[in-house]
Amino acid sequence: MKPGIMLIVVLLPILGGGLLPLLPFRSRRQLTVYTECVVLLNSLLTVAMLLYRPGEAFVLFRYTGNLSLSFRLDGLGSVFTAILALLWPLATLYAFEYMEGERHERIFFMFYTITFGVTLGIALAEDIVTMYCFYEMLTLVTLPLIMHTLTREAVLASRTYLYYALGGAAFAFMGMIFILTYGTTPNFVPGGVLDPARVGEKGDLLLLAYVMCFLGFSVKAAMWPFSAWLPKAGVAPTPVTALLHAVAVVKAGAFTLMRVTYYSFGTGFLRGTWAQTLLFVPVIFTIVYGCSRALKETHIKRRMAWSTVSNLSYILFGVVLMTPLGLVGALSHMIFHAVMKICSFFCAGAVIHQTGREYIYQLDGFGRKMPKVFLCFTVSALALMGVPGLCGFVSKWNLAKAAFEQGSPLALGGAAALLVSALLTAIYMLTIVIRAFFPGRDFDYGTLKGIRDPGWRMLLPLTLFVVAMFIFGLFSGPVVEALEAIAAPMP
Amino acid sequence: MKNAWILLPVLVPAVTGAALAAASFREHLAGGNTGPGDQKGFVPENTRGLHALVGTVLALSALVAVGGAWLWGGSLTLFPLVDGIPLYFQIDDVGRLFVTVVSLVWLAAAVYAFSYMEKEGDQKRFFGFYLLVYAILVGQEFAGNLLTMYLFYELMTLASVPLVLHSGTREAVMAALKYLFYSLCGAYLGLFGIYTLSRFCDTLAFQPGGSLNPVLAQGNRGLLLAAMFATVLGFGAKAGMLPLHGWLPTAHPQAPSPASAVLSGVIVKSGVLAILRAVYYVAGPDLIRGSWVQEAWMILALATVFMGSLLAFREPVLKKRLAYSTVSQVSYILFGLALLAPTAMEGALLHVVFHAVVKCALFLSAGVLLSKWGITRVEELAGLGKKQPLLVWSYTLASLALIGIPPASGFVSKWYLAQGALESQTGVFRYLGPAVLLVSAFLTAGYLLPVTVKAFFPGESRIPERFGERVDMRMLAPLAVLALLAVLMGLFPGPVLELTGRIAALAAGR
Repeated sequence: MKPGIMLIVVLLPILGGGLLPLLPFRSRRQLTVYTECVVLLNSLLTVAMLLYRPGEAFVLFRYTGNLSLSFRLDGLGSVFTAILALLWPLATLYAFEYMEGERHERIFFMFYTITFGVTLGIALAEDIVTMYCFYEMLTLVTLPLIMHTLTREAVLASRTYLYYALGGAAFAFMGMIFILTYGTTPNFVPGGVLDPARVGEKGDLLLLAYVMCFLGFSVKAAMWPFSAWLPKAGVAPTPVTALLHAVAVVKAGAFTLMRVTYYSFGTGFLRGTWAQTLLFVPVIFTIVYGCSRALKETHIKRRMAWSTVSNLSYILFGVVLMTPLGLVGALSHMIFHAVMKICSFFCAGAVIHQTGREYIYQLDGFGRKMPKVFLCFTVSALALMGVPGLCGFVSKWNLAKAAFEQGSPLALGGAAALLVSALLTAIYMLTIVIRAFFPGRDFDYGTLKGIRDPGWRMLLPLTLFVVAMFIFGLFSGPVVEALEAIAAPMP
Repeated sequence: MKNAWILLPVLVPAVTGAALAAASFREHLAGGNTGPGDQKGFVPENTRGLHALVGTVLALSALVAVGGAWLWGGSLTLFPLVDGIPLYFQIDDVGRLFVTVVSLVWLAAAVYAFSYMEKEGDQKRFFGFYLLVYAILVGQEFAGNLLTMYLFYELMTLASVPLVLHSGTREAVMAALKYLFYSLCGAYLGLFGIYTLSRFCDTLAFQPGGSLNPVLAQGNRGLLLAAMFATVLGFGAKAGMLPLHGWLPTAHPQAPSPASAVLSGVIVKSGVLAILRAVYYVAGPDLIRGSWVQEAWMILALATVFMGSLLAFREPVLKKRLAYSTVSQVSYILFGLALLAPTAMEGALLHVVFHAVVKCALFLSAGVLLSKWGITRVEELAGLGKKQPLLVWSYTLASLALIGIPPASGFVSKWYLAQGALESQTGVFRYLGPAVLLVSAFLTAGYLLPVTVKAFFPGESRIPERFGERVDMRMLAPLAVLALLAVLMGLFPGPVLELTGRIAALAAGR
């Protein structure tokens, strides 16, 4: 396939979304059909691109010297691309039902669709400059989505998000400059691009640059101490929180960290240094911290958001292990967590959409009123806590395996943190499940009159996610093998 | 697929159970306002049909499971679960022993439950999960590697939660949550051990004596020991061992009596099985022999034995007393395993069998008292023995067996345990162990026999008329059979001894 396809899949949603407010739709239906068509078409093109891979890079234009805006599809990028392409149409479908009756729908779907293209841009970027450009753009296009309801809370949340993200990007920018100065090429090369001749005596300086870069990009991945924006951003409509704040945006953060660690600075340079030791600390802390905050939280979406904070740090833990196996673990959790968390978020969203209830203590007895939603929620809870046979177990196993292989005390501490976090996950997820299904003998179901499962546009994505969790859990072999092939060229 | 029969006793009850649970759930959906307690439109014919279905499925599954295990045996590899480690079943002597015990207890408690549950309501859900847990237990016993076993272990925790919270009261739900979280905490500790073992052992598949790779293990003894300690502690949670025992006295009495009987009789044993498999069949007893892990394990087990007995002795509520007794008795087994010597292991395995039968019988009799006359505390049953000799005699025989009075069965297992302790090379524990067991036996007599004494010698108090009411034979018969079995196995321990001896010689022999 021609390399130009990469530009098409990035631009199609951006243009298609941008046109949304200009087109003369006569009904909501036309709007939804148009949006879904754009997204679906783009997903199909993306899948086709993944199947018939364009071998070469596509250079959009060159600034100067080796600085350019260019795309290339490699193994790591394919994983992220595939996640996005598969989840976006389903999330859009869900959003149609969820957004019914909300104001400014056109603006919403405009930015929602544009984000698809921008995130694909991050996944397909060939070099650090391109990735950085799209990374900044992602901050800007998702801002209106958080602000969408225009309540005071939403505006404050989006402001927090903006400050965090821009501050982080500034740090990341510094790291990028170091790569451009001390690297042989701005492109991503497995094993890193640092030029030993140029680095010379300045190893510590570069490590400092790496740490700054890591901390900068980790803002999007909501690592402590930069995690506060994510739960606040939960004021956004659920399709945004579910897709962007559990998958696209936050995983873009994790993805960029994989890029700079494994493809720019290079694990050979970083492994065993003080930088690695230093970064283990916030990552492992976040794994436990996120869960503990989730446990304390009574707002259902914020609880899920804290859970995301913790789970993202699972991925970051795989990244800072700086071994091929660590990358496999990180990637597998990136895929599997995407499915599990979007499912649990969608369930939460379904409850909010159907009833307007947002707090966990209001969910007594819901299992009987919204059985399908809560069965899906139960499966996602079991998957998140790592019951064997569901996908969460596989990625946790891979991460623990990588930690054991790495063998340092901190890595083992991380493996222990995974287990502590699994227990906390079980507690904060299963209390919801038990509450919903077993409200107690004398519970009065009369208070729940008229509450029922949502329509097919919400249930279809949920069902597909549940099926995916089982399939990934029981037959993880091919996925893990593919990930191992991606990590194989790492030194 | 060779040996595909292994899947039968797992899948058939699992599917039936799931179907029943789903049917109950559908009724709830349609039922609107009816609580779990009052089922409308649940006509008696339906109840009979349900019982017939459950009985047939359970009996057939048990027949296939036990018969197949003894006659056919074999192993079965399904697809790889994670990291190339397959879902793998293999039947060995340990599996045979456990599956026989579980099936026996499960059948007896089922017959009892047919009568008992008529008062509790929502039988479909109860029997649905009852079948499901049986299927999962069979899966756990037939599991051929640690990962498969862990899969079923975790499923079993989840599937048994509805049994605990069946009554749906607030206390029951809270007890179930406590049970869930303690068990999961333990399971994750165990998982840490499994990760570690998967790295340092040649295979996670079970082999008597383990498959620890000495080359890999070199220099990592500290980590391995820590992992083994985590395993023992974690799976010990299910077996009610200190310090993760807190859930047991809360959860077991909350469940309906047939469920308490199987929870206390056999489900706690799945924690024992998990430890047994990890220590004797994957890591190998040599790894921890003489290490701090063994000492810590013995200390914890002995402390649990003593503490459980003491708490049972002080507890006036009968079902709670029995639950504390389980805490204490299961740690006898764990102590036997901790000694890492063949004789002691044999004693532990014998106690697995005997305690299962006895504790099931005891809980079933407590259930009769509770459902028939609403008796929860020991002093309320004064004079019952005069009117219900069969019931009280069954209780008494089971009690004698548990205390370990010859020739009843508990004596045999305790004899082996004590002898194993004396033979072992564990320093001060050689004497301390038997001493604690002896003290605990006295306490056991002290908390079990007052029931008998009270029942037969009411003293001055008047015997209530209602004690004369007929008790359903479906409740009494299983009880009597189990009690009789508890004594007979003590008189003729030959077949069980032969099996346990074979297992212990292979797994714990040096």
